[in-house]
Amino acid sequence: MERNTPPDSGPEAGALVRPSMLELAGLFVFIGLTSFGGGITAYIRRLVVTQKRWLTDEEFLPGLGLVQLLPGANVAGLAVYIGNHLKGPLGSAVALSCLFIPPFVTTCALGFLYFHAGQKADGMAMLAGITAVACGLMASMVFEAGQKSIKGVFDIILILITFALVRFAHLHVPVVILIMAPLALWWHRPRKNSTKEDA
Amino acid sequence: MNRVLLQLAGLFSALSLSAFGGGKVVLPSMHQAACGEYHWMSDQQFVDLFSISMAAPGPSMMVVTLVGLKACLPYGTAAAILGALVATLAMFVPSSVLVYYAGNWWDHWKESPWRHAVMDAIMPISTGLILAATWIIAKTSIHSVPTAIMGLIALFLMLFTKINPVLMMAVAGAISWGFLR
Repeated sequence: MERNTPPDSGPEAGALVRPSMLELAGLFVFIGLTSFGGGITAYIRRLVVTQKRWLTDEEFLPGLGLVQLLPGANVAGLAVYIGNHLKGPLGSAVALSCLFIPPFVTTCALGFLYFHAGQKADGMAMLAGITAVACGLMASMVFEAGQKSIKGVFDIILILITFALVRFAHLHVPVVILIMAPLALWWHRPRKNSTKEDA
Repeated sequence: MNRVLLQLAGLFSALSLSAFGGGKVVLPSMHQAACGEYHWMSDQQFVDLFSISMAAPGPSMMVVTLVGLKACLPYGTAAAILGALVATLAMFVPSSVLVYYAGNWWDHWKESPWRHAVMDAIMPISTGLILAATWIIAKTSIHSVPTAIMGLIALFLMLFTKINPVLMMAVAGAISWGFLR
């Protein structure tokens, strides 16, 4: 029997490409400047896994799970994970910096424009429409997150208590998490041979 | 000035490590600190900055950069850029360091049933926090029938089509510039 385990198993995975540091930097500059609003993790997967073939799904998806579990912006976490996976610690730093520097510059420029020139100018009337759409985008994220999180009546109760603690008790988010996490974790704790039922 | 920088660093590094489910979940705290506690800006300015950051290229939580910029703007342009830098680093570096180190032991937990338990537990909490964030944005941005209609249309298009949100913002911006002036 052949004992050599293939380095890249499967016929298609043979085409896996390992980029240079410069290519890694270039891709994250591109991602930073071409990503808007939500849906960015799917966009990164398409670029890194499907188009560039730098990672397989088996390498990418655990990283996605990790950054979704840990606190912080998912994009930043993915940059760190992908950079580290491909090029080690320096790769992480390069990916993260390249992701943020160009948008940082454009965002600051827009901020100055808003505060120095904008607030009196009537071009600001555009913002009424833009903020309305931004609000619609946020609302769509409530639906998407809700769809993934509601597995029973108790999840709806968790959502509503969390909302109320922020909205009516005016607690800060870290405090709310400290209160809610034990409760939610207790409910979702691994149970032997049981199917969850809603009492 | 130094005091404001310290406040920015403290606020955003705490929020960085509490943003379970992505940056948006800490928006209510950001709003409360920036408008209520430190009086860096008005509600309207906060929502405007949030919308600008959504329309501009870059990761969606670049509103952090703009909050830092505005907090230090009274001290001059250079200070504003420094404030923006401090806020951005404080928001994105702590969580990234955590991801870097956690990546190493993550695979050991692959088989643990607790991994799913933690995911299931975090999801409803982040949904509640995003709902609270939406409430804050809605309170300020939806102030008339036309803005309510535009918000609802955007919600509908986001849920049922793949239209790019920036295109929606461009169209809505043009409409409100043309009709709501």
